[in-house]
Amino acid sequence: MLRQRIFDELNLRKQADDLGVKIWQTPSFLFIVMGIIIIAAMTGVYVVSINYDSPEVLVISESIVVVLLLTVGSFIIRTVEEVAKSNKMKSEFVSIASHQLKTPISELKWQTELLLTKFSKGLSEKQIEIMNEISHSGDKMGRLINDLLDVARIDQGQLALNKEKMNFCKMVEDAIDLQVSFAKLMNIELKMICNLKMLEVFVDKRRLAVVLDNLISNAIKYIDGSGKVDVIVESSDGFAQFCIRDNGVGIPRNEQNNLCQKFFRSNNSIKNQTDGTGLGLYIAKNIVEQSGGKLWFKSIENVGSEFYFSIPLVDSEKKGLAVLK
Amino acid sequence: MEKKKILIIEDDIVLQKALAEYLASENFEVKCSSDGEVGIKMAIEESPDLILLDIVLPKKDGYAVLEDVRKTESIKNVPIVLLTNLGSISDVEKALGLGATTYLVKADYKLEEVTAKVKEILKIQ
Repeated sequence: MLRQRIFDELNLRKQADDLGVKIWQTPSFLFIVMGIIIIAAMTGVYVVSINYDSPEVLVISESIVVVLLLTVGSFIIRTVEEVAKSNKMKSEFVSIASHQLKTPISELKWQTELLLTKFSKGLSEKQIEIMNEISHSGDKMGRLINDLLDVARIDQGQLALNKEKMNFCKMVEDAIDLQVSFAKLMNIELKMICNLKMLEVFVDKRRLAVVLDNLISNAIKYIDGSGKVDVIVESSDGFAQFCIRDNGVGIPRNEQNNLCQKFFRSNNSIKNQTDGTGLGLYIAKNIVEQSGGKLWFKSIENVGSEFYFSIPLVDSEKKGLAVLK
Repeated sequence: MEKKKILIIEDDIVLQKALAEYLASENFEVKCSSDGEVGIKMAIEESPDLILLDIVLPKKDGYAVLEDVRKTESIKNVPIVLLTNLGSISDVEKALGLGATTYLVKADYKLEEVTAKVKEILKIQ
């Protein structure tokens, strides 16, 4: 843990990428420079003090040290200010883009829904079929924009969860129902194993549905040919635990550490046959963590994968029993 | 059964019309306004059972309308559902802090779901 922390602190290229600044502008680099300058300046003052027995020279050398420290210090402050300013601008952009992009999508979705549910009398089967396809395209576009905006919000610490009490078992059941026809189409046997009827959790039902949809569709998508996907729901130490197991292509060992990073897509054998933005797991992990749980996985290439996540149960949360291990 | 009255304050006419027609077909009496200033006047005159309120509005934004409603004795307890496409933590916290009953992100909700939420709040089966 400590080693990783030190490694991260010294990984200036990553820091620069994360903060959107040049390497020499990263706080770690500037602190290293400041450290070197302090050591050099102290040594300089020491050398001056033993070589020149003059208070004037000592005062001048100490003044130079102070000026140097103030210059580097103000430079660090300016960099931090710039990073904060660019973050604020990014946040404002997200807010504006969210409103501007989502409004036409809302219009498209609501109009097609109104037509299909309230004014479909007189429409031919073909016309209804086309309208349904338009509606699905609108949903797809909405999901893509949501993914991009969610990532931006996660980065800004601004992802809002509208939490309410939900039955976790029912949510998983509903998520599976939505994927049954897709699984059939892909020749995959999709099964849910759950002996419980009720596991009460406090979650944002839409966001958790995104997590479930993501994990289930990934398991189906990343099986080459026919295969099997099992979804297991159980209660474990004050948490509702979800596990999805597939016998798909798996994730290469050297890529497993990067899997939950944004825009990362594994170079497995069927990467080019499946669509995706590489944002799903990054978003899923953040939603689960913001809901008080955690997400993890085990995978062996060409054998299959198991993805898990846990969410605190309402009762355990109240009693303070749900503690993440 | 007497029809429940819903006031929609929404400046996007396409969305406003779609929502109004859907709610009307679900047996609600619907009133509409396209800006915040007229919206608050209509809320006082019509005393709706529930207000569906957009945030980004001309003349007076949704937050100001929300504050005005909560300060006006005759309508201060009317449930207000914010319908918005803004959805960051700060937007939501601000809205709920000012007394919104709940908020829904328009692009994520179907008309059917918005209506279900309205019925749930008004305790209509």
